[in-house]
Parts: sequence; structure tokens; C-alpha cells
Amino acid sequence: MSNVDTVSTDVLIIGGGPSGLATAIHLADTLKQKGLNHRILLIEKGSSIGSHILSGAVIKPDVFKELLPDVDFSEIPFNAKVTKDSMVLLGEKSYLKLPFHMPYMNNIGYYTASLGQICKYLAVKAQEKGVEIYTGFAVDEILYNDGKVIGAKTKDTGLDHHGNQLENFQAGTRIEAGITIFAEGQRGPLTQMLIKKFNLTEGKNEQVYSLGCKELWSVPEGNIAPGQVYHTLGYPLHTDEFGGGFIYGLNDNRVAIGIVVGLDYKDPTFDVHDAMQIWKTTSFVSKILKGGKLLEYGAKTLPEGGYYAIPKLYVDNALIVGDGAGLVAMPTLKGIHLSIKSGILAAKTTAEALSNNDTSEKSLQNYEAQVKSGFIRKEMYKVRNFRQGFEKGLIMGGLHFGTQLITGGAGFFGRLKSTADYKTTSKLSHLKKKPFKERFKGKLEWDKVLTFDKVTDVYYSGVFHDEQQVVHVQIKDPKKFKEINIDQYGAPEQFYCSSEVYELHTNKAGENEIRIHAENCMHCRTCDIKSPGLGITWVVPNGGNGPDFQNM
Amino acid sequence: MALTIISLIKQVPVPSEMRMGEDGLMDRTKAKSIINIDCQFGLEAGLQLRKQNPDARLIVCSMGPGSFETSLKAAIAMGYDEAYLLSDRKLGGSDTYATGLAISTMLKHLGFSKDSKEPYIILAGRQTSDGDTAHVPSQVAENIGIPQATFVESVKADGAGSVIAKRIIEGGYQMMKLPMPCVISLTPTGIPPRKPSLSGAIKARSLKITTFGIDDIGLGTEKIGISGSPTIVAKVVNMVSERPPITMSEGHNEATLVDSLITNLKKGGNVLEKKEAAAKKETDRPDFPEKDFREGARGILTWAEVTNGNISRPSLELLTPARNLANQLGNDTKVMTLIIGKNVQPLAQTLIEHGSDEVIFVENDSLEEYLVLPFASIFTQVIKERKPEIALFAATTSGRELAPRIGMRTSSGVTADCTGLEIGEYIDKKQKAIIAPILESRRPTYGESKLATILGFVCPQISTARAGTFEVPPRVNERPGIISAFTPVLDEKDFVVEIIKTVRGEGGLQNLFDADIIVSGGRGTTSDSLGLMKALAEALKGQGINAEWACSRPVVDEGITEYARQVGQTGKTVRPKVYVAVGISGAIQHIAGMKEAGQVIAINHNPKASIFNNADFGIVGEYQDIIPELIDRVKSGFTFGIEPKK
Repeated sequence: MSNVDTVSTDVLIIGGGPSGLATAIHLADTLKQKGLNHRILLIEKGSSIGSHILSGAVIKPDVFKELLPDVDFSEIPFNAKVTKDSMVLLGEKSYLKLPFHMPYMNNIGYYTASLGQICKYLAVKAQEKGVEIYTGFAVDEILYNDGKVIGAKTKDTGLDHHGNQLENFQAGTRIEAGITIFAEGQRGPLTQMLIKKFNLTEGKNEQVYSLGCKELWSVPEGNIAPGQVYHTLGYPLHTDEFGGGFIYGLNDNRVAIGIVVGLDYKDPTFDVHDAMQIWKTTSFVSKILKGGKLLEYGAKTLPEGGYYAIPKLYVDNALIVGDGAGLVAMPTLKGIHLSIKSGILAAKTTAEALSNNDTSEKSLQNYEAQVKSGFIRKEMYKVRNFRQGFEKGLIMGGLHFGTQLITGGAGFFGRLKSTADYKTTSKLSHLKKKPFKERFKGKLEWDKVLTFDKVTDVYYSGVFHDEQQVVHVQIKDPKKFKEINIDQYGAPEQFYCSSEVYELHTNKAGENEIRIHAENCMHCRTCDIKSPGLGITWVVPNGGNGPDFQNM
Repeated sequence: MALTIISLIKQVPVPSEMRMGEDGLMDRTKAKSIINIDCQFGLEAGLQLRKQNPDARLIVCSMGPGSFETSLKAAIAMGYDEAYLLSDRKLGGSDTYATGLAISTMLKHLGFSKDSKEPYIILAGRQTSDGDTAHVPSQVAENIGIPQATFVESVKADGAGSVIAKRIIEGGYQMMKLPMPCVISLTPTGIPPRKPSLSGAIKARSLKITTFGIDDIGLGTEKIGISGSPTIVAKVVNMVSERPPITMSEGHNEATLVDSLITNLKKGGNVLEKKEAAAKKETDRPDFPEKDFREGARGILTWAEVTNGNISRPSLELLTPARNLANQLGNDTKVMTLIIGKNVQPLAQTLIEHGSDEVIFVENDSLEEYLVLPFASIFTQVIKERKPEIALFAATTSGRELAPRIGMRTSSGVTADCTGLEIGEYIDKKQKAIIAPILESRRPTYGESKLATILGFVCPQISTARAGTFEVPPRVNERPGIISAFTPVLDEKDFVVEIIKTVRGEGGLQNLFDADIIVSGGRGTTSDSLGLMKALAEALKGQGINAEWACSRPVVDEGITEYARQVGQTGKTVRPKVYVAVGISGAIQHIAGMKEAGQVIAINHNPKASIFNNADFGIVGEYQDIIPELIDRVKSGFTFGIEPKK
């Protein structure tokens, strides 16, 4: 008996989010139309479909009609339809409802939703169409033959912290696939490997990200109407911190709230989770939460580099879809419909390739051409320079965006470059303004009614990790990390991490060290993105580990 | 001869998800289902056995609703070959007796009997998290008529047709050799269950699970389901936690965390407002005739377990509820105690002085160590002769396997791990009769959140009592009583199981019972062999405090310290004024040994450790940082609020 089992499939889809599921559904449909019978296997690392899915979310629904043409639209488990949409400029104790929307920011007629619930629904549809879905399996290796992708392998389990095999060792399974779809979401470890191996970002802008922290609350009747949507600007963010808050009224007296902040901020002590807690104490937000109860917490990063940061999306036998491809439109931060569209396009190309029995790069290039011509281009191209314009802060950004609106997205400077987020953090000694922790001194105390410390919030994400495994956040070079990240930058890891994975510990002798509590990890990838000098690598932990989101 | 390994599993709600709802009731509806943790260890033990026997056939069986297929498929994904489910609405409400009967009938139907020519091993979990009885493995073994070893941590086939099992006992372990076929139940302390493999999950997807109804396996309805089970759950009430919610220390390093702890201790932490127990509603007692179901059975029989030549403490504790029940029954009801072993006659007087009216002793050199088969046989013979109405066992590792095995022979149900035993009555509305007097056995269930009252309608009514729950009754010197010898008929078949070795630590260290402060270290503190726990206890002693150090089971298992220091279900039950739990995760077995401490302070690096649910004050942090800080504070006068003795 061979130690490593091998299974083979025609199509392997890595990731059970909207793009992977859309690929699966549309591919099954298309193959059926063509009278072809091919095996489609979808692997998800979360313990169930939806357990690692988090989004605001307000969804542009039209693409679902394209994905599920035969389904009664009302069957899709959206939440409340957006009936009121307001922009609010926040101060600490005051607020101003803006009498206008920022361009592209009107959401009336769209739907609020738990994206996790939508994914669960899509998974049922996919399985009805014959797609095999396996959850709780992490994939951590791309298989190559002759330099070409031929599938992937699930992670070995039953290892100790050092990677030694324990008695309950279970070897991963090799999945040999005709074509592999990378639908891992933002900053997926395998997608990163693929990009590196084939140099897929050559000539592209650096991808940049923002981090969103979200809480789901149950509030007393009347605090907020279902379908009422607010986006907030201003407090507690500084003008050089790009982002804002969202408040989405849901059915059954629930409300989804959170803030999203660009990870290109400079302040090494900036803390998105804590900023959200302070944001909640403003008179405008606290009124909505009054008398309510926290139900869930979660966090995720989103790619917002835009059109110029989209990597090459195809190689021999493989395609990249969804967030992994960076398909998010700014400034609305909407990517779900684009992800689903990319899945549909990937499915069309894949079906074509399978029927022609040609999955070579040449055969698959049509996918990228489609992405860059249809409505994905339409939405992303006109704002292609939006995010880069804000690198120098809100005021410069506003100026850039104004000129971009006039010129159809180009602005006065043509293509604006971007800087990777890990390069933007200032050393503590170089920081020109008051650091976050001093700016909000006296406010960083949590009452556990309205505001929560990270550890408490983490509890509300249902996160779990096996004790026995190799720690999945890895410091590449401990010595360098100590010199640079801890001593020069003041260990920004302890602040940017959304889930208290990193703790700076000072012993009695006054020596600092970073302690890692990987069991808290929300899989948001901020550490992989923001750590100065890219000092940390996030690898996938055991399958089934991570958060257990219910309605995020 | 290919070996077959049969794993019995049960699907249960995830224990940690069985959260208390807003109404104070356990909300099980939202809880996800998993394979019961102990059963997962059983599954892994089967996979380990296959390493030695690559040709072994691995089958997994369960009994329950169709939704249990999920767990059977999970077992296939781990590496099992075949799956069988016994699923029938008529089985609903079965107690453990009926469950054991049904499962063994299915196994016999599958061709596994005591006379099977092909060797097989039945593996099971020690107990389930939603029932906690640990009965079913014993009952299955008794029903099929094969030997057993329960509370087993690891199991090996010796290559010559026998199984070598390491059985956990109070204060140590036993190496046992069992012939095949046999039943082994696994504790959740052995090799942790492996993760499923994708190839296994793919196999499970297409595998057909064979599902049987009771007709398929030739099982009648007389002895199953609610009506056929010998015991019923008469009442379930919520248990109100006696410990208020925890107060956590806040701070960014050990100094501020300890400052915060000291402040919290001074404040006195949270005080739980004890709700007045809702006044019992006197239900109208209908005017039914009283019915005595005992068919002449009279008296209470207890078992005096002998370890290291002494009567074990839980067996003495048992005499408290026994005496109480006898008084409630009145009519000069006798407490009889059976003691079996080598040189046990001299111990009889002790039992009488603690409250037995008659001690029945079986003197036999080959029974120096407890063995379930001959002991069950002797008990059955004594029960047949003396016809007691009630039989009580301490809920030790031996008592918990012996009682159900006997219960199967006497067709009685068994109630496990009771914390309350009273005489009551049962209003039988169907038969329009008041059945009395009847034993009301009360036991905590659903993760200690509810207290269930269980009634049995077949004599002897058998219960096991949780160790440490009852006080040892005071000794009355020269109390009169009868001491009588009993000579059982023993079959050599009862001696097929061989005890290769018994390792038992010393039971001493009485100090732990008297200490005001106990500093206890767990699995997370073994790197310096509990050096810091000892140092903290020493520092406290230096301040004139009666302090001791102790530990949880894994520390003893790793050989770091002696058994006498172990606190928990299989160790000591302690009641200090302050219990400092360091690096202890808070397994229910440990909680059982310390939950009556005055104040519990938990220190653990894992904020989700369940010890925090059973403590008054908590610090999240590394013990290597916190304890030295605490030692410094103690040296400058901090004594956890305990007044030093002059």
C-alpha cells in the first residue's frame, strides 16, 4: 500500500468561496449543455462551506441571474434589500449626514447578505449539479510535471510543532487534475506560490490590501431598519488612513458593522480592531448598538490594488479567479459580483478547453481576455487609479479622484504606481504624528458591553486550531525580526493583527520577544501582507481549523 | 485468519457548543454534531492495530437516527472499511441496558459471537459526553459473553491471538492480557484521533452504509425503547452553578496582571446571588393504590473495593448513602457489604464499624487484584442468594465496569456516577399505581448542567456513586455486626484475562486534605518538573500558610511526580480555601477533584481553557512569567487573603 493516496479529477477547484463555487456551478452547467461528463472536485479548508467567508456585505445581485438562470431569484438567501443609503461624516461626538453620495457609492436596490449563507446555498446548488465538494481539507502544495501544474496535494496531518510525524500521522492526498482553478481568496498561499513560480505579477502594480474588521450584532427593535445602509467617513481615522465604516441593517433586528482600513498606513501602532471599538463609541454608532448584543466577530483583508494590480490569470492547466485575482472595484469595495463573474468566465474557458482537450496556456488565455473586456473591466478600469491616488492621504486622494472622474479614470498622471503595504510602515522614531496608542490614550479601555478586547472578540469567531501541528505563522528570520520588527518598528504585529496572534512580551530583564498564539488566527493574512520586511509568512494550517463563521 | 476490528461510535453534540441559552436551558439545537471524543480515540486505536495487522478489516458500527451516517462516513474518511447503522424508531428512549442489548444483537447478527472462529476485537469509547455512563462497552461484552477491559489507554495485539491493554486505574495502571474476541473501551488519553484523509472522504462519499432495523437483526421490542428499558429518567432539573462568573485579570505583563489579580481578590470578585431553589410544587398525589415491585427483595448490598490491601476510601463513603437509604426504607433494612480478595476477612470489622450490618467476605488468593469476570460472577451469586433490593458501587474505574456487567446478568438497569441517592415513589399513570418504595438515583448530566433522577424497576436497583461526594461515615468502635464467609462457584473461564502488571502509586500525603492553599500544576507546567509550583508553595509556607502543591493526571502519567499528589476523579478530592490551578486545561475529571475549593484561581496561556469556566479569578499568561511574580509578591506579604497561622 502506497503511503500517499492519489485521486484524479478533470477539474480541481481550490476554495469554496463565491468565485470557486461560481466556477463549479457554471462549469457543471456548461459541460452538461455540451453533453460532456467531467469530474469537478472542489476542496475547501474551512470546516464547512461558509465558515471562512466574511464580507460586509452589500451585493450587486444581477450576476446571480446569470449564474443561476433557472432559479427563482427569491430563493437565494439574500438579507434585506437596501432601501436607504446614507454617507455620514463622523466626529467623536457629532456627525453629519452628507446630502450626496460619493460617486459609485449608491447602493439602493442592492441586497445586504451574509456571504457565508450565500456560499452555503451555492454549494447546495453545485452539489445538485454533480460537483463533489469536500470541506475541512487544506491544500498546501502545487503538483508540477515538466514545470506545468498538474494538481495539488492536501496537507499532511499528525505532525508535531517541529514537523515530525506523530503516531496519528495521515499523509495528504495527491489530487491530479487536468485543470486547477485557484479560488483561494485574497493572498492565498498556493496562489502566491503560483504567482512567484511563473512571475505572474511582472509589469503589474503591487497588490495592496485593506483590512476589514466586522461584528454582527443583535439590537433592540427600532435601532435600525432592515435595508438601511450607512457608510461613515472620518473619525477615528486620520486623513492619511484610508478607510471608513459600514453599518448594514439586516432582518430580524440584526446589524452588520465594521470598518475597513487600507494597510498602507504608516503608524506602526495603528490597530484596526481597536479603531473599530473606538468608532463604535461615537454617538452615531453607539446609538444603533444600544441595548444590543454581540453575536459574531471576524476579519479579512481585501485586495484593492485595482485594475493595474491584476496578475496574469492563466498558466498551463491553471487559472486564478476571484479575490486571488484582485477583482475588487474601488471605492465601493465591491468584489463579490466580480468574483462570481470571474468564475463564470473561468468556467466557460475551462469547458472550452476540456472539450478541445487542450488546457495549455494558449487555450486558457481567453479567460483573461474576457476578464479584461466585459463588465469586470468596465467597473474596474474607470477607477483603475483610484486607490493609488490616496497613498499620499485623503486630500491628495480627493484631488486625484476628482481629476479621474473628469478624465474617465486616467487622471492627469496616467497610470499611478502603488507601493506594497509592508513598505509603508514608518519606524517608530520616524513617525511624524502622534502614534495611535497615544492619540486615543484613555479611550483604549473596553467595557465588554459596547466595546471588546481582541481576545473576547476572537471568542465570538468560533476559532479553533489543532494543538499538534507546525505553527502556521512563521517568522522567517528570528534574528532579523528582533532587530527590525521589534526594535525598530516596535512590533507592529501586536497591533495590526486582527485576532491577538502576536503578543509582545517584555521579561524582567527588559528584553522583548514576540509570542505567537496561532490558535487565535482568523486567517485574515494581514501579517503576511503588512509585516515590515515581509518578516512573516502565513501558511495554511490543518484543514477544518480557523474561524467558524455562521452569518458573516 | 484475518483480524476484524469493530469500532462502536456514537454521534453527540459538540460539548463546548452546548452553551447555556438565555433562558438558562441548554441549547442543544444549535450545537453541531461530532463523533463522541472517546469514541474517536477508539477509532484511532483500531487504526493503530492495523499498523501491526495490515490485513485487518476495520468496521465501524453505531446505533441512532439516520443523521448518524455523517459520523460513520467520518470514520470511513479516517480509514475504516465498512460501516453499519442500527436505526429504528422503536429504539428511541432506550437506556444503556437496552442500548447494550441492541448493539450486541446487531454484532451477533453480523456474525460476531463468543464462538466466532475468526478473531475480532470490539473497540469503544470509554463513555459519551452526553451520557457519561461508561456502561455500554461492559454490557456489550456481557451480552456477547466475552471478556473486556475498560478505561484502556493503549492497546496492542501480541501476535499470538491475544490483546495487551493498558488499563487506567485509580492511582496507576494495569497491563492486561486478554484473549480474542474481547471488548476494549478507550479513554481519551491515548493516541489522539487522526484527521480524515481526502482519499478517505472521497471513498466515504460513495460508500453505502448498511442500515438495519430491529426486525433485520431479529431483535424484539420487549427489552428496548422507553417501555422495554429497565430504567427511566423520571425528572431533569437544571443545576445552578455554585461558582460565580470568573473575574479575569487585566494587564500587559506579569506585574500588572498580578496587580490586577490582587485587586480583584481584595474586591472579593463576583458574588453569585444564589437563587432560591424554586419551591417544589407539590403535585397532586393521585389516589392510586401503592404497589411494591420488589418481589420480596430486601436490603442494600454494597461493594468494598480493596486496593493495596486496604478498603478504598470511596467504598467507605458508600456506607453513608447506604445507611441513609436503609433508614428511609425502615423495617429494619440491612446494609450488607461484599468484600472479595486475599486476606480480606480482617478488614470486615472496619466495614461494620463504619456502618455495615453484615459483611460477606470471599477469601480467594487468586482474587487479590480485581478482575471483572470473577467478581461479576461472585456478585451475581450473592445477589441470587441474598436478594437485595439495592446494590451500590463506588463509581471507580472498577465499579463503573463491574456494575453494568452485573446489571446485564440480573436484567437490572444501572445508574452511573450518582451524587444523590434517596428513597421515593413513582406515580405510574398508565398502571394507575404508586410504585414505592423506589430508589431515586440523581446524577449530573449534559456536562454537569443538569441533574437527572433515574428510576429502575428491576431489583436489585443498581447505582454507582461518585467518589468524593459522600463523607466517610464516622467510625463507631466495636459496633456489632455479622461477618459471614461466602464460597462462590468459580469457572476457570472467568480467569481468561491475565493481569501482567499493576502499577499503583502511594495513596498517602494526607496534607493535601488539610491545606489552606493548594498550588496545582498541569500538563502545561511540566518543563521544570513543577519547580515553580513547589517554589510558590514553599514561599507561602514561609509566610506561615498551610500550603501544599499538587498536580493533574498528565503530570503523574509523565512520571514527574507521585500519584499521591494527583487531584481529580482518579486522584484526590480536595477542598482547600484557595486552589491555584496552573497550566491545567480543566478536564471534567480534574474539576471533579477540586470544584469544592473555596476560591479557584486559574492561570493558563490559553484564554479558552475550560478551567476558566470553573474558576473565580483568572490570568491569561505564561506560567513561567506569572508564578515568579507571584512568588515575589508572596515574599513581600501577599497570601491570597489567607491569614497566616502564628
